[in-house]
Amino acid sequence: MAGLELKQLLKSYGNVEVIKGIDLTIEHGEFVVFVGPSGCGKSTLLRMIAGLEDITGGELVIGDRVVNAVEPRDRGIAMVFQSYALYPHMTVYDNVGFGLKLARTPKDVRDQKIREAARILQMEHLLDRKPSQLSGGQRQRVAIGRAIVRKPEVFLFDEPLSNLDAALRVDMRMEISRLHNDLGATMIYVTHDQVEAMTLADKIVVLDGGVVQQVGAPIELYQRPANLFVAGFIGSPKMNFVEAGVDKVVGDSVTVSGPDVAGVPVAIPAGRLRPGDRLTLGVRPHDLVVAPSGTIVGRVGLVERLGNETIVNLELPSGASWLAVLEGDQILRRGDSLALDVDPGKALLFDKSGQAVN
Amino acid sequence: MTRRASILGGAAAIATTFVVFVIPFIFIVLMAFKDRQQSALRDFSWPTGFHLWENVAEVVKTRNWMMITAFINSTIITVVSVTLLVIFAAMVGYVLARRKTRWNGLIEFLILAGLMVPPAVVPTIWLLQGLKLFGTLHGMILIEVAYNLPFSIILYRAFVATIPRDLDEAAIIDGARPLDVFFRIVLPLLWPVTVTNIVVQSVGIFNDFTNPLYYLPGNANATVQLTLYNFQSQFSTAYNLLFTNILLITIPPLLVFLFFNRQIVAGMTAGAVKG
Repeated sequence: MAGLELKQLLKSYGNVEVIKGIDLTIEHGEFVVFVGPSGCGKSTLLRMIAGLEDITGGELVIGDRVVNAVEPRDRGIAMVFQSYALYPHMTVYDNVGFGLKLARTPKDVRDQKIREAARILQMEHLLDRKPSQLSGGQRQRVAIGRAIVRKPEVFLFDEPLSNLDAALRVDMRMEISRLHNDLGATMIYVTHDQVEAMTLADKIVVLDGGVVQQVGAPIELYQRPANLFVAGFIGSPKMNFVEAGVDKVVGDSVTVSGPDVAGVPVAIPAGRLRPGDRLTLGVRPHDLVVAPSGTIVGRVGLVERLGNETIVNLELPSGASWLAVLEGDQILRRGDSLALDVDPGKALLFDKSGQAVN
Repeated sequence: MTRRASILGGAAAIATTFVVFVIPFIFIVLMAFKDRQQSALRDFSWPTGFHLWENVAEVVKTRNWMMITAFINSTIITVVSVTLLVIFAAMVGYVLARRKTRWNGLIEFLILAGLMVPPAVVPTIWLLQGLKLFGTLHGMILIEVAYNLPFSIILYRAFVATIPRDLDEAAIIDGARPLDVFFRIVLPLLWPVTVTNIVVQSVGIFNDFTNPLYYLPGNANATVQLTLYNFQSQFSTAYNLLFTNILLITIPPLLVFLFFNRQIVAGMTAGAVKG
């Protein structure tokens, strides 16, 4: 049984800080996904947990031990690499059994464990092959098998699916999800693909610039992003943003206006804003609806008609461009004026420092 | 036109190779078949009789079977030195390619210096005598390792860079200690360069003449190349025996070359990571 605790974890290369004090608690059996743009430190953080990178400062606790100075092999972890990292000169059988061999596991026990892992991953027929004779998906399976056979407390995945084609990625995603259910182990998964993050995670950790931006359940992050970065990063297509100021405050609702919007009502608990506050309004493309008396008016640009939905590129008066994903098939002409509305409960406001107000 | 040029070029290359490599070898073989009188003419004539077996027997028996001792000595020196060279050079190459420190520049300079600076014989002998290694086989082995190490390191270092670092890390996660990573993962993957090293270094060390001459004096310590002196003297040289000797000691390197040349497998790392 092993959860993890990261206490003020720091990593720097010389004077460059890449991980700037991360606090995080991961419960036993949780599936946690680290997401963020390239260079945000998510892989470095994972490698610090694995023990492949030294920890500059702070404490890393796995189970109930502080493991800062513990060798990777003694941390009770297993890792699956983006490049699979199979040993090319060994057969699948030896690849999977390498760790057991190093641990001097008796031959019959080893054989039993390797076959067990192969059975779980349905790759018994591949055991005699070399990695070069396998397809990408099969290699990834072997890499996962190599992790399973160690019976780790914590599985670490470093963008394991990014080298697979789209169809295989969906399959492997389900496979990993099934594995998580079957094994009940803690899993930490790094990806930049937010679909993977949203579908797999119990808990998503959004990282940027070596700092945790927000931690939460996938839907929570989508509906209630803590700041502008998370709002822009989670969700596809990206959230639309525009500058706006508070017109008036009435009870639990405010109205905001700006160069591009006129009197958009937003539900905000009373007392948080005053008329005149400068803010950023954020609206998800899916939350926009066509309304003749709408508060957001722009000129129709590119229109993509997909049948079930229509994606419209809207040019606002200031020249900013918004995306709107409208229900059903909408017949719109380029250059026409289009008025849109948003449910007050779904529009988001961010203050000057980028923190969410509602 | 280009086709004709390439054919002409090829023919010229083959002709040159024939003159430079094959004709001397034919000359050696012919001389080994001759008797002493005919061989003294040192010409390209056809042997008048078949004297090869007599020559071989005589060469082997000369100076109390010195040839046998020499073969044993040379084999020991070659096998041990090449083994040490492969292990040490691969280790140095691995560490140099993987670990970037501020000492790398200095180490690389020292390696290059090892290639460029000519070995000083007298101080080396003095040092060997001080260490009580002068005139011993293990002293000779250390000399061969030291002289040839820089070249082997350079061969290895470039190749280590082609082995993905992920493999080392996967092995570390699997519980490998540094020596496990090296001997079980990295060294096997370096096989193509190891073969190159074995071929180049074993031929070079087996055929080494000057170093055993300086550092390994004494009849009991003779190496194969030094047996050539048995048939050369200031006033008379038995050319038939000399060339038979050459023929005999050419065979082992030739076998090494033929055997390992087929072993050079390209693309050993194929399939390790997404290509």
